[in-house]
Amino acid sequence: MSDNKVEILLVEDNSHDAEMTIRALKKVNLANKLFHVKDGAEALDFLFARGTYAERDINNKPKVILLDIKMPKIDGIEVLRQIKLNEATKKIPVVIMTSSKEEQDIITSYHLGVNSFVVKPVDFESFAKAVSELGFYWLIINQAVE
Amino acid sequence: MKAGTGRFSFSRLSIQQRLPLLICTLLLSAIVIFSFATYYGLKKATLKIGKERLHSLTDQLSSILGQSAQALLGTVRATANQSFVKQYLKSEGKESHLETLQALDKLNRDSTWVSVELLDSNKTRVLRSDKSTVNIKVHITDVLYFTPVGPGACKVGKIYNLKGSMYYPTIATVTDNNRIIGYIICWQLLKNSPKAVEQLSQLMGTGATLYIGNTDGSLWTNMIRPVKGPPVRMNHIGDFIEYDSPRGQKVIATAQLIANTNWVVLVDFSEETMLAGTTSFVNWIIIVGVVLTAIGILGAWIMSYNITRPLNQLTDAATAISKGDFSYAVKVYRNDELGQLANAFNIMAEQVHLMHQELEDKVKERTAQLENVNKELEAFSYSVSHDLRTPLRAISGYSIMLKEDYDGKLDAEADRIIHNIITNAKMMGQLIDDLLAFSRLSKKELVRTRVDMQLLATTVVNELLQNNPENKCQVNIDVLPPADADQGMIKQALINLVNNAIKYSSKKADPNIEIGFKDEDSTTIYYIKDNGVGFDMAYAGKLFGVFQRLHSQEEFEGTGVGLALVKRIIDRHNGEIWAEALENKGATFYFSLPKNTDHE
Repeated sequence: MSDNKVEILLVEDNSHDAEMTIRALKKVNLANKLFHVKDGAEALDFLFARGTYAERDINNKPKVILLDIKMPKIDGIEVLRQIKLNEATKKIPVVIMTSSKEEQDIITSYHLGVNSFVVKPVDFESFAKAVSELGFYWLIINQAVE
Repeated sequence: MKAGTGRFSFSRLSIQQRLPLLICTLLLSAIVIFSFATYYGLKKATLKIGKERLHSLTDQLSSILGQSAQALLGTVRATANQSFVKQYLKSEGKESHLETLQALDKLNRDSTWVSVELLDSNKTRVLRSDKSTVNIKVHITDVLYFTPVGPGACKVGKIYNLKGSMYYPTIATVTDNNRIIGYIICWQLLKNSPKAVEQLSQLMGTGATLYIGNTDGSLWTNMIRPVKGPPVRMNHIGDFIEYDSPRGQKVIATAQLIANTNWVVLVDFSEETMLAGTTSFVNWIIIVGVVLTAIGILGAWIMSYNITRPLNQLTDAATAISKGDFSYAVKVYRNDELGQLANAFNIMAEQVHLMHQELEDKVKERTAQLENVNKELEAFSYSVSHDLRTPLRAISGYSIMLKEDYDGKLDAEADRIIHNIITNAKMMGQLIDDLLAFSRLSKKELVRTRVDMQLLATTVVNELLQNNPENKCQVNIDVLPPADADQGMIKQALINLVNNAIKYSSKKADPNIEIGFKDEDSTTIYYIKDNGVGFDMAYAGKLFGVFQRLHSQEEFEGTGVGLALVKRIIDRHNGEIWAEALENKGATFYFSLPKNTDHE
């Protein structure tokens, strides 16, 4: 699957959140070209075609990256920093999706160049609505740089 | 003393000025009093001594003159008693002529004797000494008128001024069987050589003047020429008389009768001369006093400088310390009280420095501890926010998935249970959100600005009513005065209070909310009044506690955080919050905000 065209890269360590995100996107038929990685290190390996993803075509860039903040090994903020520092990846839209509304995280994220910052609603219905709306926006409405 | 104050006040002077002034005043008063006392004491004593001297001098002079007059009278009387003189007169010049003439010539013995004459009982001159040079024109009757001479007597007459020279007569009667048969009258010139007068002056001392005069005051002489007499009356003889001399000096005089004559001797002393010693002594005292005062002022100035300089140093040091400069130690070069004070001050300053240092260290330590606690709290909030929400979302999510995926495949009881799971998960999510908002509030910095409460209340009410379109609540907002407050926080407080009012009046037929204010001296009280279910005032104390609720979840939804949040917001503004209510009649929530707080 990693060789196929990836539209959404979901970086989420919590499998339940991942499942709910994927389910919400599936409902609006946006989960077909979604790739899920379990932590920050894996996300960076995927994006820069390193480690287990060394065989991957680096030019196969996702249309949007949904990025959790609190993750083991390398956290979302660090992943964001590396994406935005690299010429090859800095143009990929990054949406931070987090459970906490920490002001410092929001400030740091925007400072690093995040494209959107979404606080995951606790309530699933709201959550599903938010996920599907942002998938819809970034994949269909938004015009990305080719 | 400041210019323009116009009034002198001792208390305004510095110690440095006070001490010399005080010592100068004391010394000057002492010297002035001492000088006056000395002057008057010495003057009195000197005058007393002078008067005694004057008295003894006049006594001496009168006695000397009296004795010489007595000698003169003895000589003349002896001649008058000579038998040949009597014989000559009785024989009417026929007998004893030569002896008598010789006797008269014998009386006329020196240049002061100008005339010696023998007269008969008719006062006609019968014989005259050959040596007589001047013919005195004063008639014997005139002399006898003033100086009556009885039989056998001999008297000195008063002094006559004849063409600028002073003459005086000595008259003796020649008697025979107690009958006056003739007179001997001798005229003598009252004259002393200037040398003799000078010698007399030396005897009397400088500044003394000698006068001799007739007792009737008709003539005064200084024994050289007639002079203007002193203004004395003869009943003052023996007393001390004070008057201004012709030379314009104040003089003290005393007069004494001269025995065997009708003369009086008077000596006067000028007071100035008499007091010359006293005056120069007092002058010396004044000079010494002025010098002493100058030395005293200088000494006092140096002393007060020595006292005030360390005091000024102490003041400087204390000022420096109060500004936080502990390096400023008072330099001590002395062992007296001031040196001890400076030492004690330095020790105290050192102690204060140490305590200050300790306090600062403690503050740093406590701040660090507080910061740690804050960080822990932050970490805690973060984990509550993140770690509790995630599983909760999973519960809610999977319940919904279950409901969606197995819709119609489960029985009614299972549907009810799933529904309850979803509702409770939602409820817990709300609780977590409220709790986080509450804890974040204490971390948030208060930014005061002028808040248009009227506009804010209107905005809040409109937003809330839009979110509850089915609510038919009537809201009246008064013209509210502005407040000095944090706009965001006050908005949150208003949202919670108005939301409560809407919520708790929603079951009434005609829900009504009133937002108003009361103007107090230093605060403005805002209130939100509803006609809702109200509450029992017995539980009013529980209103503002976290998770405290007076109504069940079934009656009215809520987490019990809203009013706690409002109270915390009002507390942070140094305001107060309280409520009044009647069950089923409505509730009024008041909060006060201080006026005119300086913008932080």
